[in-house]
Amino acid sequence: METTEIQERVVKILTPYVKDQEALASVSPTTNLLEDLKVNSARLVDVVLAFEDEFDIEIADEDVDTVNTIGDCVTLIGQKL
Amino acid sequence: MSETPVALVTGAGTGIGAAIAKGLADEGFRIGVHYRSSEAGAREVAEKLPDAFLVKGDIAQTDDIDAMIKTIKAEAGRLDVLVNNAGYNVNGLTPAMSINDYDAVRAVERGTWYLTKLALRRFMLRQKSGRIINITSVVGHTGNPGQVPYTMAKAGLDAMTRSLSQEMAGRAILVNSVAPGFIDTEMTEELPEAVREGILSRIPLGRMGAAAEIADAVSWLATRASYVNGTVIHVNGGMYGG
Repeated sequence: METTEIQERVVKILTPYVKDQEALASVSPTTNLLEDLKVNSARLVDVVLAFEDEFDIEIADEDVDTVNTIGDCVTLIGQKL
Repeated sequence: MSETPVALVTGAGTGIGAAIAKGLADEGFRIGVHYRSSEAGAREVAEKLPDAFLVKGDIAQTDDIDAMIKTIKAEAGRLDVLVNNAGYNVNGLTPAMSINDYDAVRAVERGTWYLTKLALRRFMLRQKSGRIINITSVVGHTGNPGQVPYTMAKAGLDAMTRSLSQEMAGRAILVNSVAPGFIDTEMTEELPEAVREGILSRIPLGRMGAAAEIADAVSWLATRASYVNGTVIHVNGGMYGG
């Protein structure tokens, strides 16, 4: 799967959890989930579950710790596909 | 995925765990009968329950718990109720107890947290519902000489019940404890008569409880108790009320 497609699907999954919807318009691989998009950290588990369901992958807890940005999400998912 | 709800009961090969497994099966649950070393007992329990399956693993070992989750996924594909019944105890006065014995007792509490976490992560959060029931003990509240690590572990699980219930309340996952008092099991049958009489003198109902009476409380929490969350149900004949 192409990186751009993964990113599009990641952004779509993240959208309901993003508090700063304006930041979504200028999203890039360096966009930080918590600091830029204002995703509530308590909802990260829902985001991870949605990634697993969308891409049919299993994400380990230690992998979750490495995810801070959109680019991190795309890289991690790409590795699991 | 089958629509039959699935319950995992840890330590279900003997005593209270076996009674809980039977009680939940009577309520229509398909049961995962967990055991560590009581294989014969677990098989006997499973054979009497419709479509039950065995789940082997040492709750003190995280690798075993990972494998248990895989077994449930392969056998049932869902988990609706987790009953954390398995426990471990080493009796001894604190000055004479080794750190290894302490660690062995607390390792089961640690593993119970890990199993619970995986049950949530792999099943209940996706299913958007679930019940977690921790089987603790009256001695986690009253204390008991010679059981410092055990009472710490059981009190710790009750604390997990309170905190986790608050974390999960918005997700339709209820978390409660059932704290048995002195229950007639193979373990209590071996007590010296004087000790047994001493215990009975502390129980207003004047008798030990039956494992089925613990199972009744668990079945109620697992099915009908829709507005009970984050609490400890004491089942002890009146010796302690919380």
